[in-house]
Amino acid sequence: MISGVAIPRPRRWDRPFGPEMTEGDVLRVLRTLQVFAAIDPAQFPASSPLHDIVLNDARVRRHRAGEVILRKGDYGNSVFVIVTGVVRELPEAGVTLRSDRRQTPGLLGAISQLWRNARVPERRDITIYRNGHAGRANGVRRGDLRGVIRDIDEVIGHQPTRPLGPQEMFGEVAALSRAPHLATYFAETDVELLELRWQALRDIRRRDKGFREQLDALYRATSLKAHLRESPLFQGLHESALEQLASHTLFETHGEFEWSGGFKELAAQDPNDVLESEPVIAEHGDYLDGLLLIRYGFGRLSERLDHGHRTVGYVTHNEVFGLSEIVDHWRDGRDLTLRHGLRAVGFVDLLRVPTALVEDYVLPNLPPEHLPPPPGRSIPRQANRLGWRTELELEQTTINFLMNNRTINGTAAMFIDTDRCTGCDDCVRACALAHDNNPRFVRHGPEQDNIMVTNACMHCVDPVCLIGCPTGAIHRAPDGLVVIDDITCIGCATCANSCPYNNIRMVEIRDQRGDFIVDVETQAPIVKATKCDLCRDQLGGPACQRACPHEALVRIDLRDRERLVDWLTR
Amino acid sequence: MNAFAQRRLRNLALTGMSAGILIAINQLYDMSLRDAAFMNGWVLFAGMVFLSLFNLRKKLNVLPLVPAGAWLQMHIYVGGLCSLLFLLHSEFVLPNGTFETILWLLFVVVVVSGFTGLLLSRILPPRMDARGERVIFERIPFLRAQVARQVQELAMRSVQETRASTIADFYVKELAPYLYRPRNFLGNLVGSHRAERRLHVAIQALERYLDERGRAILGEIDALITAKANLDYQYALQLVLKLWLFFHLPLNYSLMLFSVLHIVIVYAFSAGAP
Repeated sequence: MISGVAIPRPRRWDRPFGPEMTEGDVLRVLRTLQVFAAIDPAQFPASSPLHDIVLNDARVRRHRAGEVILRKGDYGNSVFVIVTGVVRELPEAGVTLRSDRRQTPGLLGAISQLWRNARVPERRDITIYRNGHAGRANGVRRGDLRGVIRDIDEVIGHQPTRPLGPQEMFGEVAALSRAPHLATYFAETDVELLELRWQALRDIRRRDKGFREQLDALYRATSLKAHLRESPLFQGLHESALEQLASHTLFETHGEFEWSGGFKELAAQDPNDVLESEPVIAEHGDYLDGLLLIRYGFGRLSERLDHGHRTVGYVTHNEVFGLSEIVDHWRDGRDLTLRHGLRAVGFVDLLRVPTALVEDYVLPNLPPEHLPPPPGRSIPRQANRLGWRTELELEQTTINFLMNNRTINGTAAMFIDTDRCTGCDDCVRACALAHDNNPRFVRHGPEQDNIMVTNACMHCVDPVCLIGCPTGAIHRAPDGLVVIDDITCIGCATCANSCPYNNIRMVEIRDQRGDFIVDVETQAPIVKATKCDLCRDQLGGPACQRACPHEALVRIDLRDRERLVDWLTR
Repeated sequence: MNAFAQRRLRNLALTGMSAGILIAINQLYDMSLRDAAFMNGWVLFAGMVFLSLFNLRKKLNVLPLVPAGAWLQMHIYVGGLCSLLFLLHSEFVLPNGTFETILWLLFVVVVVSGFTGLLLSRILPPRMDARGERVIFERIPFLRAQVARQVQELAMRSVQETRASTIADFYVKELAPYLYRPRNFLGNLVGSHRAERRLHVAIQALERYLDERGRAILGEIDALITAKANLDYQYALQLVLKLWLFFHLPLNYSLMLFSVLHIVIVYAFSAGAP
């Protein structure tokens, strides 16, 4: 037992999503919104009834006409249901909206960290926790408004838009696929919205089949056309041709939505078995019936080699599989057989566009410089707009290492070149300095040859750590970074257990004097989840990378293959 | 040519050009019968101040300054230029006074330690890589103790399971002293593994006195000795990589202090100098 300052142990709904949400609001939305009217509350357990979910994990938002609610390209964790008013969907980002400004400390604030930082580890201001029950979850108000459109008629008149009225939902694509929004949404009239954060969405989807099916159908319908429109391959197409393609395109999902548990078990046994466990989407040598567009997640490219499969690369968001084969068939009449196999790494959403339609509608309209070159011809490095240069020019062991450990999930993975790292720990010290003297990573991790992938949050493309969080404390900021709101975190460790890479640490917190903060009932220490936040509130970006004198450390987005290869072969 | 080689070539070319310009200016000063020592002395001092700022840059990582990696590159090449300036300033002759001799020695030692550090930081990390997984320096004592405990347990188990004291005796006499402290420090630095090899040979020599179970235990001990040797290797190399800075930095501070004194003295006794 540890003695210290005692507070009540934080619980799930201590800090509701919308603290101003009233009983009246809950009853009103449950009665008036059809999506809830059809739900049988008896399906929900006594510990988390539907009423409490709506009360605590939803909130009512009101916007004036012209206000932007969601911005294309931002990440989101919520679904919106329109209560009153009209919302416009704007598939093209045809308006200029202000960019987010992060809260940075300024020069003096930055320097003052040198003497303001705590002398005890994991210091917290206890008054925030004590007042937490009356407070609101971090970021609920700040940053809600994504911009304002002044001339609504001008916007509606000059670009394709879609009106959404009462009872309709939007925002589900980003929330369900952990991907960016595919369109901008703004209030055409004054609107009242119900915003359901991920936690509510997850729990209601899990319990109610009707809600789940309705949401999934909407997700597929919305994301199919929006994604086709988003892909550079189809950007030159007329709306009618796009309609034709959309009507024949299949939406497929492969792998498990919550893949982290199975992966951890598998990787603990033998990382080389990971490939065999991945669901096959297409086999090397099979007939190619359609172009595959990766909507979300990752696919492993492999080719048959004797009795096994050799990994050659990967495909990810907005990239295509099978384009070279279709182009060669269309151009030279070659066989439509796949030169590679494709497997789902974790969880993959993809669109299958029939080959004949690609040949009839897409390829004739594609500028020649966007087409893959014939086999045997080298591919210019710059000519990768459509992502068809998916093979990695790296040693086979390195490719296997990156794929088998699923490092390719990282958008800011920390790589250390151990051939250059002297172990000076300047990176660790810099990290600690930027985080109140608490380093937020461990300079250790899986190694292959001279590359170490350290235990630092990779800010994954597919952050499975978010799925189980009961409070929304760990969430994705609009800029895509995965961050933890310390005040909302209840220390349940769900995220730490879900992280496939063991990059989240649970820490025991202390007050200003260095005493442990403990649970008032059990006297057990209160713990919080911590991890790298990529120094988002610091000047100059990730401190670790800037601090390394030997240029041994880099934060790298593995979707950027060229930079990856350049760095690994420098 | 990879990116590092390209950069090295570019930086060497820039440094060479800068060195040429400095030598030319120095010659012009000489030809115009002005005292070049004042000019090259001040440039040298400015260079030394810049070099000393590197440590401050490392402490001020909270500011959006030039990344430490780029700064180190400047540090290395400006260090090279300062060495040239030092030679020009001292006119390629050894000092004769006590103060100047101390200053001269300090400069030489700081430069030599700097370039030694650079060499070590390029040579030792790949050598550590070649010996398996990189271990965090601060964890080495813990890991060493863990290995020692495992060997001790194996030695005790061997007595129970084989009813023979060969392994236990060997443990007391040879292994325990080897396991509980870092060993073969110098050998590891120069790449000699004689101590480790000697132990492996001694372990193998015990096999003839053991039964099957004893030989299995001995095999496990042999593997743990390899693990301990790897830890010693990492410890020795990482310690050197950490310690050279403790040599380079304090000497540099002394050098800066002596340089300021040198300037004060020069100006105090330079009345009438151009």
